[in-house]
Amino acid sequence: MSTPILEGQGISKAYGGVQALYRVNIALYPGEILGLIGPNGSGKTTLFNALSRVIPVDEGRIFFRGQDVTDARPYQMARMGLARTFQVVRVYKKMSVLENMLISRSWRGVRAWNVLRPSRRETYQRAWELLEFFRIAHLAHMPAGALSGGQRRLLELAMASMPDPEVFLLDEAMSGINPALVEEIKERIQEMRQHQGKTFLMVEHNIQFISDLCDRVVVLHQGQVLAEGTPQEITENEAVIEAYLGV
Amino acid sequence: MPFLQALLNGILVGGFYGFMVLGFSIIWGVMGIINLAHGEYVMMGAYFAWAMFRAFGIDPFVSALLVFPIMFVVGYVLQWLIINRVVERPHLISLLLNFGISISIANIYKLIYKADYRSVTVAYAGSFQLAGFTFPTVKTIIFFAALLIMVGLHLFLHRTRVGKSIRAAAQNKEAARIVGIDVHRVYAITAGICIGLTAVAGAMIAPIQPIFPFMGPIFTVRAFAITALGGLGRIPGALLGGLLLGIVETLLTIYVPGAGAKVGTAVSFIILVLVLITRPQGLLKGLRPVEGGA
Amino acid sequence: MRAATATSASAPVSLFRRWDIWAWVGLILLAALYPLSDPTTARLLVATQIFVLITLASNWNLIGGMTGYVDFGHLTFFGIGAYTVGILMTRSKEIVFAPQLSFWQAWVFSGLAAMVFALLLGAATLRLRGPYFSIAMLATLLAMREIVRLLTPITGGGGGLDLPPELNRIEEYYLSLGLMTLSVGLMWWIRNTEFGLSLLAIREDEVGAEMRGINTTLHKTTAFALSAFLTGLVGGFWAWQNTYIDPDVVFFEPRNLEMIIAVVLGGLGTVWGPPLGAVVLYGLREFFWNRFLFAHLLGLGLMLIFVVLFLPGGLIGLMQKGRAIPLHELLRPRPAVSQEEEA
Repeated sequence: MSTPILEGQGISKAYGGVQALYRVNIALYPGEILGLIGPNGSGKTTLFNALSRVIPVDEGRIFFRGQDVTDARPYQMARMGLARTFQVVRVYKKMSVLENMLISRSWRGVRAWNVLRPSRRETYQRAWELLEFFRIAHLAHMPAGALSGGQRRLLELAMASMPDPEVFLLDEAMSGINPALVEEIKERIQEMRQHQGKTFLMVEHNIQFISDLCDRVVVLHQGQVLAEGTPQEITENEAVIEAYLGV
Repeated sequence: MPFLQALLNGILVGGFYGFMVLGFSIIWGVMGIINLAHGEYVMMGAYFAWAMFRAFGIDPFVSALLVFPIMFVVGYVLQWLIINRVVERPHLISLLLNFGISISIANIYKLIYKADYRSVTVAYAGSFQLAGFTFPTVKTIIFFAALLIMVGLHLFLHRTRVGKSIRAAAQNKEAARIVGIDVHRVYAITAGICIGLTAVAGAMIAPIQPIFPFMGPIFTVRAFAITALGGLGRIPGALLGGLLLGIVETLLTIYVPGAGAKVGTAVSFIILVLVLITRPQGLLKGLRPVEGGA
Repeated sequence: MRAATATSASAPVSLFRRWDIWAWVGLILLAALYPLSDPTTARLLVATQIFVLITLASNWNLIGGMTGYVDFGHLTFFGIGAYTVGILMTRSKEIVFAPQLSFWQAWVFSGLAAMVFALLLGAATLRLRGPYFSIAMLATLLAMREIVRLLTPITGGGGGLDLPPELNRIEEYYLSLGLMTLSVGLMWWIRNTEFGLSLLAIREDEVGAEMRGINTTLHKTTAFALSAFLTGLVGGFWAWQNTYIDPDVVFFEPRNLEMIIAVVLGGLGTVWGPPLGAVVLYGLREFFWNRFLFAHLLGLGLMLIFVVLFLPGGLIGLMQKGRAIPLHELLRPRPAVSQEEEA
């Protein structure tokens, strides 16, 4: 097996007295689509926050492209090629959809003085392309706060795609999006993986979506990894079924 | 034993600080609103005690009881009419609004009472000796009154129906709404209680503190420092933070020559910045992150 | 925020194809010609005061309006600028063992001193999110006033400093006009660049901005230092113009409030709001409040409450929406708009 592009080793995180994560190991290999599932409160979002460096971890190390990034700041992760979406959508509600896209531009090769000029033509072009793809180009001049929940999710996906990252962390990115579009996004994700070698880690509640798309699935339960395997294996795993159905 | 005596003085002042900060810290914890006018409510309480003392010779500790219902109404109405409108908007807005309220209150008092320093001198202003220590009488009474009120407030929050709904609204606004709690009414009651208590604190220190319209900001800065030390909305945390601040302030006043009475703002400011830089979540990790995390 | 939507075209256009900047340049040219009409010195002084207020408001807007870090103590930098000029022009021999400086030499240092102080202070306070920053700055202002009062050998304490008078109202007029042009022009430029977009992103959602590759610390610190630099220059200018400084006139509380209110009144985070707000505020002060000087601060406090509650988008927002919150909403206890629609 090749080396993981993003790896968390023995990650622990406690909030007050609650142990949200306990010695979780997770590895994401280049070009794969990894699903992360688990009941509510099992630590999925905490793990996402830890991997994207939004919160500090109590214990454990995180590696991205072979580098130790345990103490990196989120913006450094973004510039190294990691993009994420949030469970509670984070778009800039008072700004227009287009401006939201321009803010999420690529930082590749940007020098300090570059930011002292208006957004470049290429940035606009890429923004429009992505807006077209996600079917929200007609909303470009609306304030993002006026969008519906599903449209905001699409916008956030489009924003995440702006800098052309290597790794996407998608936190329930499909909830609230209409089923026809979910199918299209599914195709687009597969296409990006096949042709561009992009890597995805996604939290989803929609098991159908996960089993259609993912190569591997990791199940979190009470802050620990309960099971790991192909979607097929996971759906037949006794412990997983119990965790979901049992108390 | 000058050091132990200073420590004692610090503890007495600190107990008061722990009580003084409660209104500020509960409002922040429950509604996420930073009450920049906190010090002004202290000032209003102090003026009330002064006016009562001057006009009718009423003891400040009696005034402290009288001022609570009055300021409860003031707090309730302010929250109901004004602050509830911005409670769900970004911090920027509620900060600006409360800044405006704080300046307006201070200047209304300046118009009414002029900028002169006032004081209340009670008959029992001296001190007494106990176990080799000197106890300033007024500060000792304040200390124990503060502890008593804190216990009472704790019981209120945990044992009564209203108290429980306040805590419910603090923990999860949406859930509170679902189980039928009128969140905005709870907020108004919370503000009434908090501002009432703050004014009670103000009335109690009237005998030991010069009273003037612009005495407020230093109490607001102190409140910030104490919340940074002790966390939000928890009574033991507030007491601990208050004690720490009181002790540090008193010791510095005694051991640093020339520090004098101006030491309050500077000490609070330095504590605030130091704590937040070294431990952004507060000394006891009790600070709520200012923005809703994902 | 409609203003944002309106100014960002669907494709990048040259910065200088925007009409607003040409309107501004036109206004500045008119203002530059004004002294030719031989106005009285009193009128020139009024104009200078308006320019100073606009400059202060525009600078405050950079950190308070665009970046969303409400600075309740921005007057600190004004004071540092004023005292730098005051000290360097009158006491540089005793204090820094340098020859007495002329105003122009001292003026450069007033901006730099404010900026250096902002960088030091920012390193500490900008790590604090929103409200902590606000209160830390308020405390800084309170502390600074006391420090200046106590450091009598350097600052003259409560007795103040007398600056060599070089009164020339025309010179002052053009200097303040230049400062204002620079400050507002800079705001306009920043608003139209990627730097400005990033600042707005920080204001709206700092974690999100960071996750999208924006080095928030660097952006905030830059905005803060720039704003402090320009505010320091205004302070230095003001000290020279006033020819006398002491803690009370420099750290004059209404000035601190007026720069904030001008921004909120005009429109937080907009380029043209603060100048508009400053002019309206100045007008109100001259025609109305000067009769009630004793209640000046009270009026400002009430005005801040009123504007925050009923003009959330400021005058600029009012002009774009064409309506304010109707008066009957005043007595409605609930927030008029829910978070979903508004925030």
